Amino acid sequence: MSVTEETKADEARRTEGETEQAAGLLRGLWALIRRGVGSLELDTRLLGMIVGLLVIWVGFHFWSGGTFFTPRNLWNLTVQTSVVAIMATGMVLIIVSRNIDLSVGSMLGFIGMFMALLQAEWLPQWIGFDQWYTWIIVMAAGVVLGAILGFLQGAIIAYAAVPSFIVTLGGLLIWRGLAWVLASGRTIAPMDSTFQLLGGGARGSVGGTISWIIGIAACVGIVLLLVSRRRTRVRYEFRVRPMWADVALMVLGCAVVLGAVWFLNRYFMPEGLAMAYAEEHGLEWPEGGLEIPFGIANPVLIAIGTALVMTFIATRRRFGRYVFSIGGNPEAAALGGIKTKRTIVLTFMLMGILVAIASGVQIARLNSATSGLGTLQELYVIAAAVIGGTSLAGGIGTIFGAVLGALVMQSLQSGMVLVGIETALQDVVVGVVLILAVAVDVAYRRRQST
Amino acid sequence: MTPPLVEMKGMSVSFGGVHAVEDVTVDLFPGEIHALVGGNGAGKSTLIKTLSGAQRPDSGAIYIDGNPVHIDGPIDAKRFGVETIYQTLALADNIDAPGNVFLGRELTTRIGNLDDSAMEAATRKLMARLNPSFQNFKSPVASLSGGQRQSVAIARAVHFNARILIMDEPTAALGPAETEQVRRLIRQLKEEGLGILLISHDIHDVFDLADRISVMYQGRLVGTVQKDDVTLDQVLAMIILGKEPGEVTEAELEELHG
Amino acid sequence: MKRNRYLIALIAVLAMLIAACGGDGGGSDTTEGPDTTTASPDTTEGPTETTEDMTGTTAAGGGDITVGVSWNNFNEPRWANFDKPAIIEALDAAGAAYIETDAGSSAEQQLTDVENLISQGADVLIILAQDGTAILPAVQSALDQGIPVIAYDRLIENPETLYITFDNIGVGTLMAEVIYGLVPEGNYAIIKGNQADANADFLREGMEVVIGDAVTAGDITIVCEEYTDNWDGAIAQTTMEQCLTDNNDDIDAALVENDGMASGVVAALAGVGLDGQIPVSGQDGDTAALNRVALGTQTVSVWKDARLLGKAAGEAAVQLAQGAALGDVAGVIDFESPGGNTMTTILLDPTPITQDNLNLVLDAGWIDEATLCQNVESGSVEACP
Repeated sequence: MSVTEETKADEARRTEGETEQAAGLLRGLWALIRRGVGSLELDTRLLGMIVGLLVIWVGFHFWSGGTFFTPRNLWNLTVQTSVVAIMATGMVLIIVSRNIDLSVGSMLGFIGMFMALLQAEWLPQWIGFDQWYTWIIVMAAGVVLGAILGFLQGAIIAYAAVPSFIVTLGGLLIWRGLAWVLASGRTIAPMDSTFQLLGGGARGSVGGTISWIIGIAACVGIVLLLVSRRRTRVRYEFRVRPMWADVALMVLGCAVVLGAVWFLNRYFMPEGLAMAYAEEHGLEWPEGGLEIPFGIANPVLIAIGTALVMTFIATRRRFGRYVFSIGGNPEAAALGGIKTKRTIVLTFMLMGILVAIASGVQIARLNSATSGLGTLQELYVIAAAVIGGTSLAGGIGTIFGAVLGALVMQSLQSGMVLVGIETALQDVVVGVVLILAVAVDVAYRRRQST
Repeated sequence: MTPPLVEMKGMSVSFGGVHAVEDVTVDLFPGEIHALVGGNGAGKSTLIKTLSGAQRPDSGAIYIDGNPVHIDGPIDAKRFGVETIYQTLALADNIDAPGNVFLGRELTTRIGNLDDSAMEAATRKLMARLNPSFQNFKSPVASLSGGQRQSVAIARAVHFNARILIMDEPTAALGPAETEQVRRLIRQLKEEGLGILLISHDIHDVFDLADRISVMYQGRLVGTVQKDDVTLDQVLAMIILGKEPGEVTEAELEELHG
Repeated sequence: MKRNRYLIALIAVLAMLIAACGGDGGGSDTTEGPDTTTASPDTTEGPTETTEDMTGTTAAGGGDITVGVSWNNFNEPRWANFDKPAIIEALDAAGAAYIETDAGSSAEQQLTDVENLISQGADVLIILAQDGTAILPAVQSALDQGIPVIAYDRLIENPETLYITFDNIGVGTLMAEVIYGLVPEGNYAIIKGNQADANADFLREGMEVVIGDAVTAGDITIVCEEYTDNWDGAIAQTTMEQCLTDNNDDIDAALVENDGMASGVVAALAGVGLDGQIPVSGQDGDTAALNRVALGTQTVSVWKDARLLGKAAGEAAVQLAQGAALGDVAGVIDFESPGGNTMTTILLDPTPITQDNLNLVLDAGWIDEATLCQNVESGSVEACP
């Protein structure tokens, strides 16, 4: 062996040793991180989804030359997601209870058309245009209609035992047809001026200050929730997370919420809107213009509110527990004395109500109702729920996951428009992602259960 | 003498002209294990379903503590202190142990929210009594072992001060160790004064646990015997031939053993 | 209890049915007149009805002419409200008689209808085909009996028929002309219709005629060009929002292929305060779009005046009945059909409706003033005093 070879071998050994050392260090660190994250007791599936979402965002950011991860684009993204997100929260419960609702897109069209006609043609005959309370009547009527349509479908599914696939497939055709009949295919516009605020835009957003207030309130809410949960567990002498983990969660939660508010508040009104705003509020128009944030858009607040309420219903109320138990084992639920049929009817009524809320947001945002409104939306809503981890076999799903699923899909779609991918290819990508997401989910669950 | 805990008199159930249960009368006393045996399709499960509220009888009457009762659905049965552990266990696999123990009877806070902590605490207390090794209170019951799942089902039955416990094949799907554990549990409940209606294919289970044995054959009651008065063979003969010990001929017995 | 459940289910089914039927009824209400004049499908009785004011008017030498019209479906209100009166008016002027049938969306029924019209003595047929191929045998039989056939709005692939329709490719040209006149250079967004719909590409071709050179010369930059699933306004809105984001609002004009999508594009512009500042096109003459034209948030809606179509068909029918050959009918040109036939065709020009000629749609009764002028500042446009 020559000298040089020896030194080389030596070197190799040394580096090998170093790599081993480094690897050992990394392994140790990784184990520490895993244990640390473990004590936070977070849902690793959801964490995975959030990471996936961030990857999509960062990917599009670079691909689009830096326009994706901007306050403006993310602000738009939140608004664009809200309609599907609102409906997806209800679809989770439907799918969890081993049913499906294919009619939501058509129902959105029908209820949307009804609400549009109500405010643009029917009500004005009695109360005139643009009353401050028009939007309340319209929303209330829409919600009642949604509940009735949901009841009809749910009652047939539960009491006549016709599969939900068939009933809502029928609904898909019926409601779409009725939407056409209601207006003979006309486009109904414009919407009531107050009602329009439900759809977002400059006026339909809460502004910078209120956004901060909402953010801080949410932060306080997170802290209170964690504190009260910890207290209860202590009172019952259950095992609690280490204190640092709870504090870390509070800080993390607040950071995410306030960070999001800060980021979205960086989206300022374009000059024209800002000027109009300044004029309206008696503000001086300085040389360099004014930076007036839009703040969180109303439809986004509605979607967040809906998601919170639905999470509460799904996890903290008997009704939600019943829905999940029916999905887990319908027979057990019935033997446990749960009125399974009534519960199913209620899930469909709830779905109808959510569709009505989504209809309101949709027609307000579009400032019109077209006869094709909501076409194919059912597929996006179902896909959002499924990407969000809802199992089509029933029994498993979270509201938060579905909202995240809606955000993933809308991110893909908006991102692809931004980078100019052909429309036909966009559908291909969304389809592929849907299958991939579910495949990963199934694999993950299989690994968990062994 | 105290009246029996439960008396089912002249119970009949038929499905489209087929008599699944025909004029069956059985009773059950406190602190007693009464086994119900018979071949497949003998009508055992259908009979107990009339008591647990899962099946309405065509005729017959049920007395609890000597009073006639009308049982219309599982909730009604539970109100009379009748709890049932089904062979399938009737657990919602996607829900955790406390959720299953309280399924359909959830504890709530004053404003009607689910009180998960209270339910978990109660379940922990129950399990400390029934199965101290049980520790998994947060995972869906799908991830539990057969014995643990059985404990959850039993915990659900006894938590609500059940006085009458119906157990349908409680050891069918269990390994030897778990079977022994469940048997111990059943005896413990008997000690506590519950009346237990036990359905089992396992004749050893029956002889190990039961005080009295009722045999059903093709929907009819063959007879009810004190365990100590009969041999295993005699009971087997009742199950297979559908005849009381006295009615069985030597030839028939021979054939049975052949 | 069990019976109760069935009752609930039954009621629910019934309610859905009633909802469906009730809706249908509401729909056909809008078609008022026709139900009295429609030949019932399975009868072969005489002429369904002759227009009342027709009797006695035997002017212009059309005295003995009977024109038979086969409608495909009167449930769509347009035919009864605009096309039919225009045809009758044209026939009245020539003193010709009008008879009609309605096939109720059935291609088979329409075959029978055409035979009925012939046996009722029609000298000329105007056919709005439910199915341009299925109707061919009936058309051939009419032609064999020496009865000229006019294909109304929908192509019938028989070169011996006279095809009357609007110039669809011209629609794209018209909208582009209006927008290009206002914005000869700058950034254009083009929002196209459904990719699977050939019309989306026809319209785009028509636009190219106007802006093609400017694009080549670099005066116009097309910064976004996207198809829109189902011509859906909500999708168009998202597309436009992304387009605005991508270009930091630096967009000077939006060529939008129809009014439904234009509503989404205008809503997207309103979101950033640019509505009314960027020219937007559309087509169909939707009431909502015409209102936007009056408001100034949409620049143009290309409108196909159904009455022109009816008038042209009526006049052509009279000429044909009086013995004119296809090529002699006033205003015809040759048109290469997708089926490879050279069709004798009357191509009508659609009308671009802008703030300057809103009175056209008002005068036509296409829209009423209250709807057109909702929220429009009085006097800001001529049509809204």
